[in-house]
Amino acid sequence: MTASPPSLKIRLKVNGDSYESEIDPRMNLADYLREELALTATHVGCEHGVCGICNVLVDGRTVRSCLMLAAQADGREIRTVEGLAEGGKLHPIQEAFIEEHGLQCGFCTGGFMMAICEMLERNPSPSEEEIKDVVGGQICRCTGYNSILRAVNSAVSKMSASRP
Amino acid sequence: MAIEIPKSLAELPTTKPRFVGRGMRRVEDAALLTGRVQFIDDLVLPRMLHAAILRSPLAHGRITNVDTSRAEALDGVVAVVTGEDARRWSYPAQSSPDGWGVHCIAGDKVHYVGEPVAAVAASNRRVAEDALELIEVEYDALEPVADPFEAMKSDSPRVLDAQESNVMMDRTFTWGDVDAAFSQAPHVFREKFRWNRLGANPTETFGCISQWDPMALDLTIHGSIQSPGMFGLGRAASFGLPSNKVNIISQPHGGSFGGKGGTRGCDISCLLSRKAAGRPVKWIEDRGEYLLSGGSQAWDRHYDVSLAVDASGIVTGLKVILVDDLGATGEGYGAISAAKPLAAFTGPYTIPVAQYDLKLVATNKLPCGPYRGMGPPPHFFVLEQMMDIAARTLGEDPAEFRRKNFIPADQFPYTIPSGNEYDSGNYDEVLNQVLALADYEALRADQVRARAEGRLVGIGVASAIEPGVFDWNAYAIVGMPGTGVPEGATVSIDVLGLATVRVGFSLEGQGQYTLVSQLVADYFGYEPEAVRVVQLDTQSAPPSFGPGGSRLGVAITGAVLGACERIREKMSRVVAVLMQTEPENIELMDGKFLLKGAPGAEMTVAEVAGTMLARSDLLPPEIDPRPEATHVWTAPGRTPADEEGRAKSYLTAAHAVHIVQVEIDRDTGMVEIQRYCLADDCGTRLNPDTVEGQTEGSVVQGIGAALLEEYVYDADAQPLCTSFMDYLLPTVFDAPKIEMVAVETPSPFTPLGAKGCGEGAMHTTPAAVMCAINDALAPLGTAAREVPASPNRIWKLLDDARGGAESPDANS
Repeated sequence: MTASPPSLKIRLKVNGDSYESEIDPRMNLADYLREELALTATHVGCEHGVCGICNVLVDGRTVRSCLMLAAQADGREIRTVEGLAEGGKLHPIQEAFIEEHGLQCGFCTGGFMMAICEMLERNPSPSEEEIKDVVGGQICRCTGYNSILRAVNSAVSKMSASRP
Repeated sequence: MAIEIPKSLAELPTTKPRFVGRGMRRVEDAALLTGRVQFIDDLVLPRMLHAAILRSPLAHGRITNVDTSRAEALDGVVAVVTGEDARRWSYPAQSSPDGWGVHCIAGDKVHYVGEPVAAVAASNRRVAEDALELIEVEYDALEPVADPFEAMKSDSPRVLDAQESNVMMDRTFTWGDVDAAFSQAPHVFREKFRWNRLGANPTETFGCISQWDPMALDLTIHGSIQSPGMFGLGRAASFGLPSNKVNIISQPHGGSFGGKGGTRGCDISCLLSRKAAGRPVKWIEDRGEYLLSGGSQAWDRHYDVSLAVDASGIVTGLKVILVDDLGATGEGYGAISAAKPLAAFTGPYTIPVAQYDLKLVATNKLPCGPYRGMGPPPHFFVLEQMMDIAARTLGEDPAEFRRKNFIPADQFPYTIPSGNEYDSGNYDEVLNQVLALADYEALRADQVRARAEGRLVGIGVASAIEPGVFDWNAYAIVGMPGTGVPEGATVSIDVLGLATVRVGFSLEGQGQYTLVSQLVADYFGYEPEAVRVVQLDTQSAPPSFGPGGSRLGVAITGAVLGACERIREKMSRVVAVLMQTEPENIELMDGKFLLKGAPGAEMTVAEVAGTMLARSDLLPPEIDPRPEATHVWTAPGRTPADEEGRAKSYLTAAHAVHIVQVEIDRDTGMVEIQRYCLADDCGTRLNPDTVEGQTEGSVVQGIGAALLEEYVYDADAQPLCTSFMDYLLPTVFDAPKIEMVAVETPSPFTPLGAKGCGEGAMHTTPAAVMCAINDALAPLGTAAREVPASPNRIWKLLDDARGGAESPDANS
């Protein structure tokens, strides 16, 4: 017997590069990024939308890539952790996480960074409550979150200092 | 010549350490933050297949038939294995206690929900999961047992056919004249406690890629493996292979906290690889599998504890009866969590005699595994509440009651009744520091005002010991062999003078590669970024256990400094030859070998290494020309356990006092943490930033244990928490700001005076939070004796205290 459902063609942009792929319609976005594009910086923590580790930006909004089908990403613009650092230079959010020890094992950190990236691009000077709201969407088992909050505050000042 | 490992920072060959003892950026972070670190699921091997596992829906049942024919016929399926393959090609799992292991796939009988009954390897995971739906398994349901007290009865259903009862172990350990202490004591306090199942839940679950070589008959396994050496020995035992035929390559992994697990899944992937003619088989445990049947669950405990106190408020005896529900088998080594409290049984106190009545019981639940702290956190949860019960009854302040029972600073090294020796400490000072940090008197004054307003505000003071640098002898009572846990490292300097350190463990989150680079940088005068740390597989690495038991920071420091010392000695001989003097006239300082008394006569480390590797013709033949050395460090002075389990086991005893202020909402039973202060002493802090990180993370895990986390089973042993919607991990909203202060009492026995600190606050936090909750509840005459102290449990206590008026039962 055969298990292969008909394939589906999608076109999308990931970190500025255009891709066209034939995919299994049931493949989720996280698996597509990891398996088809070998963009493995998007990690998968729970596969049921709670932990936020697999966050990516879809047209600028944070999305759980484990809950979105790759087919739904057709025609969209995706950003992943691979797109944060540019020209061999770390993104200020990444710098801030290093300085404030905002990570230990580093497995969940990408999910935090993408959600924080969305927040800071929308609102360069978020309140403490807004920061907690965004950080509260993800689970980290190592740090106890205090250092992640410090990293976000440090990223806020880095990014505001670099603005003209 | 014996190698002397520096016992303090001052003994390092540098005028002033630039890196060790200071917080610094971690060398591992840039790769982690850009996604360039290869976790197990990022790795793809040629011709690799993907596994999925079919699991039992029953807690207890006979398997009457397994039909895999439709799955085997599915396009893309390459191999299917069942209990028959497991029995043909593998042995039952090793276990503690011995004899409580079963095959990795159930044969005749399933023992818990989630136990594997068949598995598939296919072209991708989606096809493998499709195939599982085509496997038909028929069961005859058996009566399950979910309660350990029921399981101990002679007419209980038996979990394992091969055992005569469900009691894995029933022994009483007595250290000193406990009967006399209790019969003579004017005050005896007794209370029961319940610690419910919880567990590690690292953000990355277990995963592996196993490859069985059908010609060479050997196994190569990549995986997210915490202890690769032990894991390799376990697989060799599973398959009856010579130990040198199993090679483990541990990938960097997303946390572990002891609960990475994975042995069954790994053995199943090995069977699948064998059946698939040696193609590599990847198995990635999903979160549902981890929660249901992974290395996820620990410490399912029922305590009955007694404390004897004399007329002056000095504790004179401790008795602990523990019924520990280990689940269906001993394969998770949950038993060693029951043994580890021996390393710190009486906590930071001078309690002279103690007794441990230990019952390890099998039920039809998931076998228990390790979790951060490995057993003492529940033990201190009960001991600290007993201290509070005594203090409250005797009308004493809980902080001062603890102080007068502390082991005095001048009594170290101090041997506790259960046999371990604490290396050093200054418990009074730790208490003083945290009392000052919290402004304890002001907190108490605020509490008086709050109580007058009818608010339920409580302050918890708890003090605990973190045994550090684990040793197998601590677990002798549950059958673990051996004493001493060696850790090795190889330091090499290349022809251009650059250093590489080879170790036997992978990145896990604690920052040990940074520590290694700090040590070598200060020893030989490098920048930390210039020191490369490389991980070896188990067939290449020096003896290594890796992280676990709060040991690696201390152990790897010993190994790296030992290797550096050996290189220094070798290089001193080379320099002596070149300078036509004796090696004892040569001194290493700040990266240069100096001729004593001859200013200007010096060679850099790079010059010496370059000479050794590029002008070895200058060296006499008795000098080994490799600027390289391996050192294997092991804790000094450990002793095998005696009949009563007593041993010098864990090398270090770190200490902490936490002060927590909580307020309980009378209407909802919700507990809010308003203040969290702690002082801790883990000896010399090799990297204070990473120590703080471990502490902060451990506090929040402890808060999860105290308030949120619980694996609930129903009366038929069906698990009810199989997603993160049911098993509640702390988020940022549960994490208080943590105020910390450090005391440093170096260990006299360890490299640089450091103590184990990785498990840390988990020892103290659950106790501290529960003490605070019970302080808040005290005016109502009620107390919480069960964790997690979830809102429903607290609300029920509040309602009972009100006379049960709002209870649904009361209205019926």
